[in-house]
Amino acid sequence: MGIYEISFWFLTVMALSCALGVILSRNPVNSVLFLIATFFAISGHYILLNAQFLAIVNIIVYAGAIMVLFLFVIMLMNLNADTEPQKNRLVQIAGAISGGTLLLVILAALRTSTITSLDQTSTDIGLIKNLGKTLFTQFVLPFEISSVLFLSAMIGAVVIGKKEQTV
Amino acid sequence: MKAIIAATVLGVILMFAGLFVKEKKSVASLAVFLLFVLLGVNIWDLVTTAPNETLSFFNNMLRVDRYALWFNTLMTGCTLLYALLVSKEIQRVGSHVAEYFALICFILCGVYMLSTYNNVLILFIGIEILSIPQYILAGSDKRNLKSSEASLKYFLMGAFSTGILLMGITLLYGATGTFNIIQYTFLQSDMLSPMALAGILFLMVAFAFKVSAAPMHMWTPDVYDGAPTPFTAFMATIVKASAFVAFMRLFSVSFGAISSDWMMVLAIITAATLFVGNITAVFQQSVKRMLAYSSIAQAGFMLFAVLAVNATAWQGMMIYAVAYSVATIGMFAVLMKMKDYTYDGFNGLAKKDPMLAAFTTVFLLSLAGIPLTGGFMAKYFVLLAAVEQGKMMWLVIFALFMAAVSAYYYFRVIMAMYFKQGNAELNTEVSATDRFLLAITVLLVIVLGAAPNLILNI
Repeated sequence: MGIYEISFWFLTVMALSCALGVILSRNPVNSVLFLIATFFAISGHYILLNAQFLAIVNIIVYAGAIMVLFLFVIMLMNLNADTEPQKNRLVQIAGAISGGTLLLVILAALRTSTITSLDQTSTDIGLIKNLGKTLFTQFVLPFEISSVLFLSAMIGAVVIGKKEQTV
Repeated sequence: MKAIIAATVLGVILMFAGLFVKEKKSVASLAVFLLFVLLGVNIWDLVTTAPNETLSFFNNMLRVDRYALWFNTLMTGCTLLYALLVSKEIQRVGSHVAEYFALICFILCGVYMLSTYNNVLILFIGIEILSIPQYILAGSDKRNLKSSEASLKYFLMGAFSTGILLMGITLLYGATGTFNIIQYTFLQSDMLSPMALAGILFLMVAFAFKVSAAPMHMWTPDVYDGAPTPFTAFMATIVKASAFVAFMRLFSVSFGAISSDWMMVLAIITAATLFVGNITAVFQQSVKRMLAYSSIAQAGFMLFAVLAVNATAWQGMMIYAVAYSVATIGMFAVLMKMKDYTYDGFNGLAKKDPMLAAFTTVFLLSLAGIPLTGGFMAKYFVLLAAVEQGKMMWLVIFALFMAAVSAYYYFRVIMAMYFKQGNAELNTEVSATDRFLLAITVLLVIVLGAAPNLILNI
C-alpha cells in the first residue's frame, strides 16, 4: 500500500465520518464545523486526482466564504432546542423509506457499473492551464452565458434588498 | 442564437433605463418597444433559416431547427401580448419597473436556450436563468408577506430540484461520458446501465418539479397565489411552456428510443397530476388559486406530449403551449381588473360590464377545452398523439374524464358572472386600449381553435 492508497483511505474515512457528524450532531455550529472538515477531505480527494485548481476553489469558496456565511446566519439566529421544529413521526418514516429506496437505486447503479480507473497518461488534466483552455474553447458558450445568470441574481439582490419607497 | 444575444442585450438596456428614465410609464413603453424589437429579431432568425435546415453553434452546444425558432417566435409574441396587457399592473407592483422588465428579458433568454439546447450544460444554465428571475419576481411585492413567503418557498424548493437535476446529469455523464444529448441515444434497452436509468429518473423528477407535475406540485398553489398577479401570469404560461419543451426535447431526442423503460413512471405522474390538479381545483374559493391548480391540471395534459414520442406530439406541444398561454394570460388580465379574487367577486359581472364578461367566458371555455377555441385543438392534438402511440389508452380515457371535471370549476366563474346577483367591483376602469387588447386575445383564441394549421404548418 503506497502513500497514494493510504491518503485515499484516510481522506475517505474522514469525509464519511465528518459527513455523518454533520447530520448527527445536535448543535448546528458543530454541524457547520463538520461540514467544513468534509469539504477539506473532499478537496484532498481532488488533489489526489491531480485537480489542484478544483481543490483550491473548493476550499476558498465552500469551506471559506459559504461556510463563514453559514456560521454567521446560525449565530445570528441563535438556534436552540426551543426553536427546533416539531417533527412528525409519519413524515420521518416516509422520509426514511424514500431515502432508503433512493440509496438502493444508487447502490444498484454503482454495483453494476464498470469503474474505469484514472487515466494516468493525462495527469495534467485538472491543471488550471488546461481548464482555462477547455473553458474558452469547447465550453465557451455555457461559460459566457452564465453571466446572464449572475446578472439576474445581482438584479435580484438589488430589487429585494433596496428599501421600497412608501407609496 | 441571434435571439439569445438580443434578449440579453435588451435586458441590459432595460437595466440601464432604470437608471436614466425616472417615469415608470416611459420605462414600460420602452420595454414594450424592446419586446417588439426582440420579436423582430426572432422573425428575422426564422425567415433566414430554411425549412429543413439545422444549425449548430459553439461545438454543438446549441442545435437550432425550425421548430425551435418558431416556438421562440410564438413565445416572444405571447410575452409581447402579456406585456401590453399587464404593463399597467406591473407598474403598480413596486418601484423597480425597469428591473422587472429586464428580468423578463433574461427569462426569455433562458426560454431560447431551453428550446435549442443540445448539451445538458446549456439545459442546466437555461433552467437556472429561467428560475432565478422568477424567484425575484415572486418576491417583488415587498409590502406583502405572502409574496415574500412565495419567493422563499419557490427558491428553496427550486434550488433543491436543481440539485436533483444536476445529480441526474452527473449520473448520465458517468454512464455515457458525454454531455451531448444526441449522443445519449440508447438504441437498445439492454445496453442501458442502471446508472443511466437512475440518471433518467432524477432528470424526470427535476423536470416534473419545474413543470409542477404531481407529486412535485406542492409549491405551485402557494407560489402562484402569493406572487404578484402580473408575474403569476408570466410564470404560469410562457415559463411553464418552455420548461415543457425542454422536457420533451431531452426525453424524445435522447431517451425516445428507450421510452418503454420510463413511460410507466411518467404515465403515473401524468395520472396523478391530472387527478390532483382537477380535483383540488374544484374546492378552491379564490379564482387565482383555482387558476394555479388549473395550471397543474393543464400540465397533466401537456405531459401527454412528452409521453407520446412522435411527430404529432411535437405539434401538440406547440399548439398547447400557445393556446394555453394566450388563454391564461387573458384570464389573468381580467382577474387583475377585479377587486375581489374570489368567485363571489365575479357575481353579476355580465350586467355591469357585458363585454368583459364575454371575453372572460371565451378564455374559460378555451381552458376547459370547448370546441372552436384554441384549448380544444390543443387537447385534441396531445390526446391524438397519445392515441397514435397506442400504449396508454387507459390514461387517455382518464384524461377525458378529468377534462369533464375541469369544466365544473371553469363554468363556476361563468355561472357567477351571468346567473348570480351581485355587484362585481372592478379594481380599475377598463380602458379602451385594454378592451382592444383583450379583443385581440379573444380573436387569437378563436383563430387557434378554428385554424390550428396556421401555427402547425411551419
